Parts: sequence; C-alpha cells; structure tokens
Amino acid sequence: MRLLTHNMLSSNIKGVANGFPLKIEVEKVVQKEVDFNIDFLKNMFYKVEWKALAEASRTMGYAELPENADAAMLESDDFLHKFHHALLELHLEEGALVCPETGRKFPVTKGIPNMLLHEDEV
Amino acid sequence: MLFGVGTASSFCFKGVYINSTIIVGNIFSRRSFSTMKEVGTHNALSLPTSEYVGEAPVLRPVSVRAKCSSNVQSTPEIEKKYVHGVYDAIAPHFSSTRFAKWPKVSAFLNSLSPGSLILDAGCGNGKYLGLNPNCFFIGCDISAALVNICADRGHEVLVADAVNLPYRTGYGDAAISIAVLHHLSTEDRRRKAVEELVRVVKKGGCILITVWAREQEDTSLVEKWTPLNQRYIAEWIGPGSPRVRNPSSPRTLVSIPEAEENGTGEQLKDLHAKSSKVKSAEVMDSTSQDKGRSLLTGSGKGYAEQQEFFVPWHLPYHRAEVSGASAVALASGLAKKDDKKGSMVYNRYYHVFSEGELERLVSGLGNAILVDRFYDKSNWCIILEKTS
Repeated sequence: MRLLTHNMLSSNIKGVANGFPLKIEVEKVVQKEVDFNIDFLKNMFYKVEWKALAEASRTMGYAELPENADAAMLESDDFLHKFHHALLELHLEEGALVCPETGRKFPVTKGIPNMLLHEDEV
Repeated sequence: MLFGVGTASSFCFKGVYINSTIIVGNIFSRRSFSTMKEVGTHNALSLPTSEYVGEAPVLRPVSVRAKCSSNVQSTPEIEKKYVHGVYDAIAPHFSSTRFAKWPKVSAFLNSLSPGSLILDAGCGNGKYLGLNPNCFFIGCDISAALVNICADRGHEVLVADAVNLPYRTGYGDAAISIAVLHHLSTEDRRRKAVEELVRVVKKGGCILITVWAREQEDTSLVEKWTPLNQRYIAEWIGPGSPRVRNPSSPRTLVSIPEAEENGTGEQLKDLHAKSSKVKSAEVMDSTSQDKGRSLLTGSGKGYAEQQEFFVPWHLPYHRAEVSGASAVALASGLAKKDDKKGSMVYNRYYHVFSEGELERLVSGLGNAILVDRFYDKSNWCIILEKTS
C-alpha cells in the first residue's frame, strides 16, 4: 500500500464520523521505484491532506517532507521528488491501518489492505 | 474528452440510440426506453419465476424486495456464495482468460487527462489497471484471490466492497465499474454501488459503468444459463439460512466451452461467424417487443423478463486440482463435476440488465448526469459525470 492510497482511505465503519486518517502500524516497509509523473504530482498536490501524508511518511521512516506545503513549492524539483517518493515509492508491505475512532485494525498483508467490514460494522 | 455521437452510436444497435448527451431524469420520455415498463419503474425488484408443468414454464411475478436484507450494505448470502465464493475458487483460471480489453473501456481510459487518478471498483484481475500509462490507477475488489493477482502484477490494490467504498469523497478524477453491478442481487445494492462511484470522484469527474445485457448478441449463451426460480430467490435473497441444493429447474446446466464465455470480443466474433442464424444487430433493431422476446427466450417460452441467472463457469479438472479447493467446493455444493467436459462447474450469480435499466438505476442521482450510453459486446454501458 502506497501513501497515495493511505491518503484516500477512510474507515467506513457504521457510526464513525471521521475515519480519516487511518493510523499506520508498521511491520515492514519496502521501497519501489516509480516513474516520475509531474502531471500526476501537480494534480495530486491539491487532493492530498498534507498533514496526513507528512505524518504517514514519518511513520514509514521517511522524514523529508515539510510540515506544511503550499503550491509555490511545486516549482522546486527537490520538493517534487520528495513528494513523489513519499506518495508513490514507500509501500507498507506488512502492518495494519487503524480506525482513528474505534481502534479497529484493518490488516495490510503482502502490501494489500483488507478494508472489508464485518457484518456488525455495516 | 467524452465520446462523440458518432463513436457512441456506432456500437449501438442500429437506430436505438442516436444521441449521447441527455440529462438524467429526462430519459423516460425517449422512445428507446419504451420497453422499460417491462421491468417496472417502482422500487420493488419484480421478476418472474417459473413453475414447470412438463416443459412449459408458468410465469408468476414475485417481489423479492420484502425479503431483502434491511441493510443495503450487508452482503446477501447469494452474493457471498455464488459471487465472492466462486471468484475466490476460480480466480487463477478466470484471470488466465481475462486479458482482452474492450475497446470502449480503453477509449474511455485513454480520454482522461494525463495525471488523473482512476479508481477501478471491482477490478477483477486488474486488466484495466495501468492501461493509460499517463494516469495512476487504484483498484479494489471483494475477492482477495483476484486482488492478489493484481498485486503480483505490481498494481496498487486493496480488498474492499464496491457497495461501501472505504474512500474519502471526491478523491478520484474518474472511476470505472466494469462488469460489477450485475453481481449485486438487489436493486438497492446496485444503486448504492453507483452512488459510491459518484461519491468518490471529484466534481466534473466521469464514471464508466458496464453491465451484462439481458439482450445478448449470442442468444445461444442465454440458453446455457440457469434461470433462478422462486425457491432460489426465497432461499438466497431472503433472510433464511443458506442451504445447499442443486438447481431444480429442468433447464439444468449445459456444458459451455470457455470460448463462449461472455466478455471476449474476438471469441464472440468467432461464434457469430459459426452461427448462421445469429444476426443480432438486425434482430435487435426491431422495435417489436414480440420479436425481442422471441430472441431472448430462444427455443423456450416465458423467459422474456427473467433477469436472475446462474451462469456456469467451467474450471478444467487440471486447473481445479492445483487449486486444492475443488474438494471443498464439491462437498459444499458450490461446484459439481461435468465428466464429459472434464471440468468443475461453478455457478455465478448474475442479474442481467434489460435495456434502459441502467439508465433508470442512475435516474435518481441528484449530483450526476448521464453523458453517454451505448451497447457494446452484449453489455449496456453508461458514462456519468459528477455535477456537484
């Protein structure tokens, strides 16, 4: 699971008012190189919740993202490459995503989050 | 960005659809939807059931709505067993047959702006993930076995339910739902899945939805499906505990070569070439409902409005053995043996869509408009655009 996905996922358990962001429990992180796509980065910059991305990347052991970001930073190659790396190249391979309200853990196995709910959660 | 009139109509039955941009909600005035009264416009999911007197089926409409789960997001037993269970069991073999990409889906994906985030809800073996190399794809499917196949190919995927997507609102730039809605067993669940697709894309984002059509190009396929009778609907869509039982219908499963399986254009073309009687475009061009009915029912009678089916999947013994799940599937009644074909036969549940039904399903959306619709390779297809 990439942090791109983490930034989109939200706990949808019945009754949860704000399931975002899911807390990350890390067992294993892997890095995989991805082609740089500036169109995608500029598009995603306006979608991502920056604080959630920065905190998630720190949890995954990458501390290079600034605490806050604004659109002017998109002019910086250095910034774009850090953004690219955090968003697309860090993978949670094993671990869990934890609902911020209920504490329910969604397992991440072989890089795949299982977000299926139990019968009593829908 | 969207398909033009010419492109859209070229894949439609001649003369059925002539325009490509209308506002959802006005569609009922169009002539091409005159057959919609056949499926009803109220919320109850009406469908006929059959009682057999010799070879002659007697049709009687029933409503399954009252027996549906009260919670639209709770998965009915029929989907757990005859959709999720089957795909988990056949995933590697299913995936090995799923590589042909439909040109209309490819065209939609390639029409999206570079840098778009595309969400594929019900991605199966992921054959569309990554199709547009300038965009990024995130896929999900309820079948962990299929999602594993996607992940092995390097795609970004998760296990999730298309009826209840665990996504923030408006995050995607576009979404696709390819051959997914026909596996949902109630109208409320099919509508909820559409609402979810709309919810997760941004304002202005487009959504492509395709579903199997009741009006199949190759009518001989339909005769190989098993219509669900009332007992199945009562047992599986109803609240009762599931029990294992073979179909009681005299229209028992007929062996069907994998090549006849719906969804691969080249194979369908081959079939058409072999069949002298199938002239689907000409037949379906007819405005006569009687003519359409005879097409749908083939040699049988009374199946004109049948939309709930078991569609067989033949898993060759040599594939079944390696999966290790075959013995369990046999014991539980999920599969049975067809020694003549040398395969395990799994039934997959389908609700096949009638003409106009998909448009009717999305007609109540307050935040999306229908921007295109077409018939392609025995599928009804629509493109929605989120407006607010």
